Amino acid sequence: MAGELSGSSRRHVALRLLRRRLVQALPLMLGVVVINFVLIHLAPGSFLELMTAENQVSDPATVELLRKTYGLTDPLWLQLLKYIWALLHLDFGFSYRQNMPVIDAIAINLPATLLLMISSIALAFAVGVAAGVVASAKVRTLWDSLVSVVAMFFFAAPSFWLGIMMIVLFAVKLGWLPVGGMETIGGGGGIVDILRHLLLPTLALGLFYAAIYARVMRSSMLEVSQLDFVRTARAKGLSRRQVTLHHVLRNALLPVVTILGVQMGTVLGGSVVIESVFSWPGVGSLLFDSVSSRNYPVVLGIMVLGALVVIAANIAVDLVYMWLDPRIEIR
Amino acid sequence: MSERFAFLGRFARNRGALAGAVIIGLVALAALLAPVFFPTDPLRIVAAPELWPGEDPAFPLGTDSLGRDILSMLVHGARATLLIGLFASAMATVIGIGVGATAGYFGGWIDEAAMRSAELFQTIPNLIFVLTIVVILGSTLQNIVIAIGIVSWTPIARMTRAEFLALRDREFVQACRTMGMGNLGIIVGEILPNALPPVIVLSSLVVAGAVLFESAVSFLGLGDPNIASWGRLVGDGRQLIRSSWYISAIPGLAIMVTVLCLNLIGDGLNDALNPKLRDR
Amino acid sequence: MSNVTRRQFGTGVVGAGMVAAGLAGPAIAQEPKRGGTLVATWGGGEPQSCYVPSGGGSSPTFSSSKLFERLGNRRMDGAFEGELAESWKAAADFKSYTVTLRKGVKFHDGKEMTSEDVAYSIDQIWKKYAAAAALGEYAGTETPDASTVIVKFNKATPEFFFSSLVSGGVNYILPKHIYAGSDPVTNPANNAPIGTGPWKFKEWVRGSHFEYVKHDAYWRTGFPYLDKLIIRYLRDPASRAAALEAGEIHIGVFNPVAPPDIKRLTGTGKFVATSKGYEESVWSTSFECNTRNPIFQKREVRQAMFMAVDRALIARTVYYGYARPGTSPIFSLNKEFYTADIFRTDFDPKKAAALLDAAGYPKKGDGKRFTVNLLAAGWFTENGKIGSIVKQGLEDVGIGVNLTVPDRPTSIKRIYTDYDFDLAISNQSNPSEPVPATTQYYTSDGIKKGVPFRNASGFHTDEVDALVDKIRIETDPAKRRAMVVEFQKIVTREAPNLPLLELESITMASTKVQNHSNDPDYLAASWYDIWLAS
Repeated sequence: MAGELSGSSRRHVALRLLRRRLVQALPLMLGVVVINFVLIHLAPGSFLELMTAENQVSDPATVELLRKTYGLTDPLWLQLLKYIWALLHLDFGFSYRQNMPVIDAIAINLPATLLLMISSIALAFAVGVAAGVVASAKVRTLWDSLVSVVAMFFFAAPSFWLGIMMIVLFAVKLGWLPVGGMETIGGGGGIVDILRHLLLPTLALGLFYAAIYARVMRSSMLEVSQLDFVRTARAKGLSRRQVTLHHVLRNALLPVVTILGVQMGTVLGGSVVIESVFSWPGVGSLLFDSVSSRNYPVVLGIMVLGALVVIAANIAVDLVYMWLDPRIEIR
Repeated sequence: MSERFAFLGRFARNRGALAGAVIIGLVALAALLAPVFFPTDPLRIVAAPELWPGEDPAFPLGTDSLGRDILSMLVHGARATLLIGLFASAMATVIGIGVGATAGYFGGWIDEAAMRSAELFQTIPNLIFVLTIVVILGSTLQNIVIAIGIVSWTPIARMTRAEFLALRDREFVQACRTMGMGNLGIIVGEILPNALPPVIVLSSLVVAGAVLFESAVSFLGLGDPNIASWGRLVGDGRQLIRSSWYISAIPGLAIMVTVLCLNLIGDGLNDALNPKLRDR
Repeated sequence: MSNVTRRQFGTGVVGAGMVAAGLAGPAIAQEPKRGGTLVATWGGGEPQSCYVPSGGGSSPTFSSSKLFERLGNRRMDGAFEGELAESWKAAADFKSYTVTLRKGVKFHDGKEMTSEDVAYSIDQIWKKYAAAAALGEYAGTETPDASTVIVKFNKATPEFFFSSLVSGGVNYILPKHIYAGSDPVTNPANNAPIGTGPWKFKEWVRGSHFEYVKHDAYWRTGFPYLDKLIIRYLRDPASRAAALEAGEIHIGVFNPVAPPDIKRLTGTGKFVATSKGYEESVWSTSFECNTRNPIFQKREVRQAMFMAVDRALIARTVYYGYARPGTSPIFSLNKEFYTADIFRTDFDPKKAAALLDAAGYPKKGDGKRFTVNLLAAGWFTENGKIGSIVKQGLEDVGIGVNLTVPDRPTSIKRIYTDYDFDLAISNQSNPSEPVPATTQYYTSDGIKKGVPFRNASGFHTDEVDALVDKIRIETDPAKRRAMVVEFQKIVTREAPNLPLLELESITMASTKVQNHSNDPDYLAASWYDIWLAS
């Protein structure tokens, strides 16, 4: 009975899922906070030592004052509890290294990373899915092999190396694109300027996933097109194109959508490297700096926000999955 | 015996996998014979810096920013690369199988706890986790292996768990229980051998992942300074891309070829071990 | 511009005796052009605050020295001149100095600077934060009137020491009315400072730049020439090179670009690279032995460590020639105190091997005499490379080496708190006044566990301790120099901690920028006389 599940009950199911996942998210976030707190405090050398070194403070009284200011006098477990309590009030703490609230420090760098993340995911999805569809449509021909070979190449190439090679070719040798940064200093800032700067980092970060999507999409398309309901649709007389688009594509996207959720999680890690290669002023660089300077609240803040993004992405993936899943439609 | 031949036959039928295996074999050979062909410490300064490949016949791949032989570092680096890949994968596999088998076999709250912790590890971005652990433990080969192993076990655990869930209620397992076999015996002796094939495929992919992780860590400057790492070389050449871009290009190419071959081998293993699930 | 210079001593370029008042400074070829905006950068990162009372490192010093000023300033020719002070004079017993302040100096908010501000700054800021180590014998200030400050000491204090103190680092004159009664470390004025300098704080766009505007009531009438000064912060050398090329940045100090780019940019004819302007702000890469390890308790072994390292190779390959092999803890360009008549530890592997044999560490079966942990502090990437070269040199004389290159906090902890190293490669700054900055690496009072950039080798002898105590209070310049020469001879022979290299720093500037690099301390220069040709 196709289309039996009415709109309102689908919404019902979705809301139930949402609520359940949100509830599950809380202990997960707690775990993230605890693990990262323990990790960053295990790193040798403390924030206090670093700041007193940089400020050349040798007077013990000043050192103790700074220790109190940075909130490092409490035993670790108490520091953790205080942090969690503050976090529940959406207070991410203060970064003494940048002399501003952690949220502000992250907010300065966040737009650049979001831009990079969104564009690389979009590129990966668009290019990968398109390539996969083409390969499946022209299976076992030259096109198919070409897609496979190119995908293998981008899947194996380390992203930082790919980035450097692209800089050498397109920026240094050909001069078509800038060497790094997000916008031309003192000048640009316009959309075209930013897009020019965005192109290479997006490619470096996204082509790896495009390769994965292409491969998965290809095999998924081939698999789905063998399924019963597709044959039924064809038998009903629908054109090949209609069948492909409405039935096959929609269902073949399911595994790709799952991977999309995974990509969100790893993009932050990948951006640390890419931002380093392209001098992209994002959160990845801030994170690396903060780990190197034991800036505990900033590291925790970024990890917490990153975890939130991953959890949100996974929930979104589940919802999209439900929307795409034919079983709900057909049952 | 014939089963082994059948396995190899299926593997070899995948041309890509065969090529991959051959190339990795060559890489391993190079790694083993490195001290024979390049007896000097690869990290020694032996010539003028930034010699282009071919500029001096004694250094076919040129020299880096300090004047070290790139070919020598490439060959010696193969050793570090493969060792890290294998050991990290082994560690991840051991942890993953341990967690996954326990979760899948016993179920209940053990399963719940195991899956929650796996989810936890997956929520923290992998590379950052590895970097932080390396910062904590120090930049040595062993610590990098440990760090990569710690972040790579979750997919193996999930796969193992899925296999165990599927297999634990099968008849042959029931039979073993009736015979009085203990849980450990059943897990290790009966279910595990049947669950291994897809896990092995996954492990081989983890080797490739480990190689990429190590090169990223070394690229960022946190690698072991006492070994010739391909990733470190790429990072070394970063400042010199205008004049001496070969310093970054060559080792990166080596990484790519190695990872590619490992992936191809993984595909071949998949074909060989899971003929039912073979792709068209 | 009224510069009355101080009495000059030492065997420096300018002889003893007062330099004539009203010295106009270097002859300017063209007529300075007024107006315009200068965009500058430097080779490091953005500071944590615009001004940090204890210094906070080079970055906040660079940003704050345009807004604040000191009592005095050292010129390129070595003479001290008065800035906020007109002059200072030692008492007969050298236990106090009378400082005559300049009149009519206004802070950016219009208030006039008086002796109250100076007394506050010395008492509350210098003593506690900025110059705590140097003010060990400080005994208070008196302010008999609004333009006079008397600074007192418990012991006789040499004039060079005092001149360096009031002209040095971040020993600024702060506005008492802004800072009194507050905690100077967390006072919000640190992020929007109010000083007496030629530039007035306008805006700080975090992650991007500082914007300063001309201080209209600046006491040097007619200065500054420019309307605006912008200090931009970029993360890496490649971006800075690109910005310089695009004309978006006019000047970058302290090695803003990588050495290959220096050649490339100067080759276009549109840029100049100069190593002038760093004479008072010199850095060295140091190499020290942990004398807590019994092996390094013999001085011959320590000497051998240095002789095994090819410093010229390091200067060539790691610094592209922008470094000099180091010899003495006193910088070779320090005209007051440097001497070449010291114990030499030049590169000589044969001699090093002989010394090690004689010291009782012959090569064993596996070719190694002993194994050491070499820690190269990872805050500069160069240090890691130097670590590799040092390792190679040591291995060549039969010493096994485990090299680690930890990150900044770990390096600080391991070297200066845990003393967890056998050999360490670190960095030091070498101001021209050796006490206490340089001498504390060799004295027992320099051993402060947990405080970075102090005596980590653990070396000290009664002889050196006593000698440094005498140097601290010797007021006769000739006698003082002789003592410092003696100090160098002893310390180079003992070789617990010596510079591997004296680092040369470079300023890259567009040819349009005039009057740059004319102050010996690139960090402390206020750039009041810099201008842009069209």
